Amino acid sequence: MHREAGEKRDFLPDFVAALDAVGAEEIVLERGYGSGMGIDEPAYLAASPKVVYGDFDACLSQKLVIQIRCLHEEDFDRLRAGTILLSMMHYTTRPERVRKLAGLDIRAISMDGLIDDTGRRLVENLAAVADNGLQAAFRELAKSYQGFDDPGRPPLRVVVLGAGAVGAHAVRAASRYGDPALRDEMAARGMKGVEVRAIDYDLSGHESYMRSLLAETDLLVDATQRPDSTTHVIPNHWLADTPEHAVLLDLSVDPYDFSVTPPIVKGIEGIPQGSLDQFVFYPDDDAYGVLDPRVSTEHRRVALSCYSWPGRHPRECMEIYGAQLEPFLEVLLNKPPDDLDAHSTSLHERALARAELSRWLEGSAL
Amino acid sequence: MTSRHEEQRATTLGLPAMGQEPEERRDFLPSLASRAADLGIDVFVESGLGSRMGYSNHDYRDASKRVRIVDRDEAFAQDVVLILRSPDDRFELMHPGATLVSMLHFPTRIQRYRRLKELGIEAVSLDLIVDDNHRRLVENMESVAWNGLEAAFEALARTYPGFKTHEREPVRVTIMGAGMVGKHAVEAATKYGRVDRARRMAGFPGVEVTVVGRGLTSNEPYMRRRLGVTDLLVDAAYRSEASKPLIYNEWVGDLPQHAVICDLSVDPYLLEDSPPTVRGIEGIPQGSLGQYLFYPDDPNWRVTIPHGVPTLNRRTTVSCYSWPGIHPRACMQRYEEQLLPLLVRLFRTGGAGFLRPDGGYLERALHRASSAAWVSLL
Repeated sequence: MHREAGEKRDFLPDFVAALDAVGAEEIVLERGYGSGMGIDEPAYLAASPKVVYGDFDACLSQKLVIQIRCLHEEDFDRLRAGTILLSMMHYTTRPERVRKLAGLDIRAISMDGLIDDTGRRLVENLAAVADNGLQAAFRELAKSYQGFDDPGRPPLRVVVLGAGAVGAHAVRAASRYGDPALRDEMAARGMKGVEVRAIDYDLSGHESYMRSLLAETDLLVDATQRPDSTTHVIPNHWLADTPEHAVLLDLSVDPYDFSVTPPIVKGIEGIPQGSLDQFVFYPDDDAYGVLDPRVSTEHRRVALSCYSWPGRHPRECMEIYGAQLEPFLEVLLNKPPDDLDAHSTSLHERALARAELSRWLEGSAL
Repeated sequence: MTSRHEEQRATTLGLPAMGQEPEERRDFLPSLASRAADLGIDVFVESGLGSRMGYSNHDYRDASKRVRIVDRDEAFAQDVVLILRSPDDRFELMHPGATLVSMLHFPTRIQRYRRLKELGIEAVSLDLIVDDNHRRLVENMESVAWNGLEAAFEALARTYPGFKTHEREPVRVTIMGAGMVGKHAVEAATKYGRVDRARRMAGFPGVEVTVVGRGLTSNEPYMRRRLGVTDLLVDAAYRSEASKPLIYNEWVGDLPQHAVICDLSVDPYLLEDSPPTVRGIEGIPQGSLGQYLFYPDDPNWRVTIPHGVPTLNRRTTVSCYSWPGIHPRACMQRYEEQLLPLLVRLFRTGGAGFLRPDGGYLERALHRASSAAWVSLL
């Protein structure tokens, strides 16, 4: 996927077979495709006789290009005119990406924008965002909190900012220590469990309430989907109120972007943006030093952030994405983007029409 | 498009009325009849369908020329029959080989399954349609949570004198259980059970939602302290041991007098079973679509509670065996959206009898819910 070494995800052979089943004439895979997950060429060739291997440019020169994470912006020019690019685009928080795509003759469709008529995402792995993030966070908390294993300790106190889809999964994962096996082990030892508080925007803005809450928070989770991503939910100086052993977990993974005005900032001020290569940041980590000086990092706790939490378990992740995308393939391969009907009787066609960039821009303020 | 097999075609869809208890108002909407007709399917609607939601036969007939208003027998005599709740006493009206699509709950309704088999009726159970990751494709857990919390906050607005004052503390909600229903309950609770209510309450101190799982609900000292500061207690727990309550009636006395109990798990009292099943919160009534709000002095409080179950400590309670049915139109719209792509696939495949376990994504999901996939129940 031409990303950091820790990014191992590619679509599985089952997905290739599904492409074949709905009429793909040729399926070009980049050499080494799937190797990060230990899947070799014979597995893909067995899935479909239409599979051929090529280099990166050969892949980008196809009519339809599918990749979970969006291509680097500098690679957009390598796509040929009229190509359909299906990826996680995150239009709302990536204005530069959107501007560049809109200026090219590319038909972008954002996987994260595939929603049903009620706004529910049809291609998502939000449960894995929460599960993988909370699992890693509790492992860090077990190290930083000396009383973690003490049967006399009070319940662990987790505060989840945001009560949307990610927040709800985070609540569930947190109530299980991020790991059902650990939950069972703790229960068997008679340990007190986890008390999870979910806080939405109408409380998170109350400074006195929030600061008193932070003072008794062992694990603070940012699962917000902010309508305004230019302001922090938790300014850095509030973090001074959290216990020294507290752990901060970033699930919303909005980036810092100071190239736009006003800048886009993270929900919790002062934590670095992580990746699959590094997602744990101790207070003395060098990563704090390279943050834009406009970001205050004075108050630090162990922080976890990862651009792609689902990528921590790549094969499970791709099984889910592959299955969710499968019903879209028939429409994608048989209907030109201009013909996609936002009022079609097909749920999947309507969703594709909504997620296509030019139509999305019509309803956007960008 | 290429196709690996020659597709069969079922061509007619029957939409009978549910005709259950008077409070059950749900039926499939005219929009579903219209959208099915757009697919080239002839739709046979039982006269009176949707009348409890205010729809007339004209609303369905006007949906498409392919829609016909017929009597009950004819509605059941089609290639595919779609009805939300199982029509147990009307199976005989269907033709052998036809497909019944309904909430059939095969694993807990084995006699129903066997009866369908005896009659040669193919079936797809809506509650069993799951994708490759076991995620239900036709479900309305969200409405369970939102409708229940909406009713609970309406009650709390009456019982809690400080509810609409700016000086109050955040409303404190305690949710027991963080499963599918609990997950939705968290979001619903932070929004006072309704998005428009949340907007109206925007200037007030908000809602603090605390979720407690199994590791804490069994801890009496912790839970009793927690109950003492709880304005709204929500039971969304899936108990592995249903023979014991999570909250004994004595503990209910620790709740503030104005507190409201919201029952989303709607487990019944089955004291005769072995082991018996009791409700998660001891001593609360089981509600219905006819009555889901119970004040402590309600004359019906004890009607659904077996003798011997303590009810001394009472708080205002909302409980309903079918929370989605509170808002029937919204409920049926949601099911329609979920169902339509599945119906398309079912019709293209030719009915439940032709579903393949190795078909496409939707066909695989349908097959998992078909009677053919549950032969072990015979």
